[in-house]
Amino acid sequence: MKLRVQLQCKNLHEYLRELSPDILDRLYNHPATCLAVYRELPSLAKNYVMRMLFLDHPLPQAAVALWVKKDSQKDHDQCVSVLTGLRLWHNQQLQGGLQGIVLNPVFKDNLRIALLGGGKAWADEGSSLGPDRHARDVESLDRYAMERWEVILHFMVGSPSAAVSQDLAQLLIQAGLMKSEAGDAPCITSAGFQFLLLDTASQLWYITLQYLNTVQSRGMDLVEILSFLFQLSFSTLGRDYSVEGMSESLQTFLQHLREFGLVFQRKRKSRRYYPTRLAITLAAGVTANSSSSSSSSTAVSAMSGTGESGFIVVETNYRVYAYTDSELQIALVALFSEMLYRLSNVVVAQVTRESVQQAIANGITAQQIIHFLRTRAHPVMLKQTPVLPPTITDQIRLWELERDRLQFTEGVLYNQFLSQADFEVLRDRAQGLGVLVWQNAPHRVMVVTPHGHSEVKRFWKRQKSHT
Amino acid sequence: MASEDEVSLLVIVVDVNPIWWGQQAQREPEFNLSKCLDAVMVMANSHLVMTRTNKLAIIASHCQESHFLYPNKHWKAGDVAGDEVSSGSGDGKYELLSVANDLVAEEIRNLMARTQVKGHQTDTLLAGSLAKALCYIHRVSKELEAGQDMKSRILVVKAAEDCALQYMNFMNVIFAAQKQNILIDACVLDSDSGLLQQACDITGGLYLKIPQKTALAQYLLWVFLPDADQRSQLVLPPSVHVDYRAACFCHRNLIEIGYVCSVCLSIFCNFSPICTTCETAFKIPLPQMMKPKKKKLKTAN
Repeated sequence: MKLRVQLQCKNLHEYLRELSPDILDRLYNHPATCLAVYRELPSLAKNYVMRMLFLDHPLPQAAVALWVKKDSQKDHDQCVSVLTGLRLWHNQQLQGGLQGIVLNPVFKDNLRIALLGGGKAWADEGSSLGPDRHARDVESLDRYAMERWEVILHFMVGSPSAAVSQDLAQLLIQAGLMKSEAGDAPCITSAGFQFLLLDTASQLWYITLQYLNTVQSRGMDLVEILSFLFQLSFSTLGRDYSVEGMSESLQTFLQHLREFGLVFQRKRKSRRYYPTRLAITLAAGVTANSSSSSSSSTAVSAMSGTGESGFIVVETNYRVYAYTDSELQIALVALFSEMLYRLSNVVVAQVTRESVQQAIANGITAQQIIHFLRTRAHPVMLKQTPVLPPTITDQIRLWELERDRLQFTEGVLYNQFLSQADFEVLRDRAQGLGVLVWQNAPHRVMVVTPHGHSEVKRFWKRQKSHT
Repeated sequence: MASEDEVSLLVIVVDVNPIWWGQQAQREPEFNLSKCLDAVMVMANSHLVMTRTNKLAIIASHCQESHFLYPNKHWKAGDVAGDEVSSGSGDGKYELLSVANDLVAEEIRNLMARTQVKGHQTDTLLAGSLAKALCYIHRVSKELEAGQDMKSRILVVKAAEDCALQYMNFMNVIFAAQKQNILIDACVLDSDSGLLQQACDITGGLYLKIPQKTALAQYLLWVFLPDADQRSQLVLPPSVHVDYRAACFCHRNLIEIGYVCSVCLSIFCNFSPICTTCETAFKIPLPQMMKPKKKKLKTAN
């Protein structure tokens, strides 16, 4: 029985699958979304799409089934279900009664446009405005984005200096990351703690998902918002784009993105905006989540994506050195460790049993602690494999297991047998059925699983009537 | 599934031999160099959009030089200086792709404009281009961040005939690629190439002589787009019979049986008393060796 609430983070594919077919079809009207969806497909499915992209006639289903070798049939079936689920291809009757497959024509056209051009421009280019007198370079954009994002995180941990808009605070509460008692300032929940330990790309994607869930209640068009978001993630860093031709709701959305640090706009009324690295790696955060099993791999991309380098060194003696002066990062490290020294550019902490147990009691899992350490590992640490010393990761996991010593199983108790023989007959029967959970012969007590109960009971009735 | 930290680098080597393409334009006006490059660019774009970490290089293999079409010296992937690429994409194409495609088109135009064909040099410098591709792959792998690893492959789009003069260089390139675990794929437009067959066979790549030139783009997407992992799942054209004949060092002829220097393993189509490569002198003429043996045999009987 797990009492903890795990922070659920869907990937793009899972998110899209929950959308109604109607919305999906409308989504594919924009090249950017087609490209984003295409990137999220399994690699085999990507090849299927590419093979069919320039075909005008439907292919017989049997021919498609022959594309893969026999031993990869499972992957093939999975690809087919993904492609059908996302409505990327349809079945169509061929001449002569065979079942054929054809790519979704809207998707096909727009992916072709994304790949080869020949369509309309995605958005007005900033160049129509002429050069920007206040042009930003890539570094300042990175700095800006990180600052904005840290403000949100600071707000979550309750730093007095951090202030965010009402909308954003509301969003954090809706997402379950913070809770607010009437009148009080909102405070962080256990889900919030888990959120803090994620890497930036995943945090961003989580917030975005939550935002998307509320989009319709804000009276915005989900398709419009999603298209814009994907378009943003395929834009070029360091270029300016124009807000010309954006609808009212998109303008509002842009202001929200500005608060997240996804876009830079010098003034609210400014006619141009710059996407930041956060926006461009948004789609990367999506994939980082989907492959949670290979968490070590996502670490690197997440770090390179946000343009900050790792700062944590973990030694086998459980010491953690964090080369940072950011209050926030220090607070995060302190969530699961005991602070020893604090110097101007580095803090030294010790991971102990008590500190980890404390963190786990707060709802943080061992996996999240390890992931946090790994994603923020110092470049020197990254050179060694595994990145973190195995003793440390194993021990943190063991400490977590210490709390999970009890396992709960539902069952039905049988007791007060009149003779040892009766007990043994019934026990052997239950064992034979594989439904016996526990038994104690001296006390003539046994427990069977609930779904085995009826079978055992019937057997016992029959047994009694015989004797 | 390919994880995000795995960089996949594809180097496309395109044979742009002006003489062959000039003849081709007369033979089949519907398939000329620009059509071929269009197909290559479709392939390149498809590779780039597959995942964010996919990288690309295109090398034009001319008869006078090997020239990088993409990326070129002045343009580094990742940081596009705002002023230089003011054109952008006006037609809905993904920006990164339109920048790359414009660059390729411009570079090939420059390359063709400065071509001056002189009589004696008409072979494509394919071995040189492959060597350049290997060097580029090596450089990119050096620049990787810690923890990333890279898979790379080379795709050769071959038009003109093989050049036996390049046999030695070619084999060296192949073995270097094999050592670095780099696949060499070959898509052959015209006549079969023994050298490339060997290259593909040794490095584990695919060799395909396409039956229809106008469908080049479809062949490229169909056969050569999947990377090594996906190829193990897909049914692809079977490997061809490989012509493993070596070229002799003296006349560069392809031979099946020849003379091999016992010191340096150089191959010759006819016997010479001194090896031209390592200058070893073979003192004992063969017929004299045979005589004493025969006598011994007789006495034994």
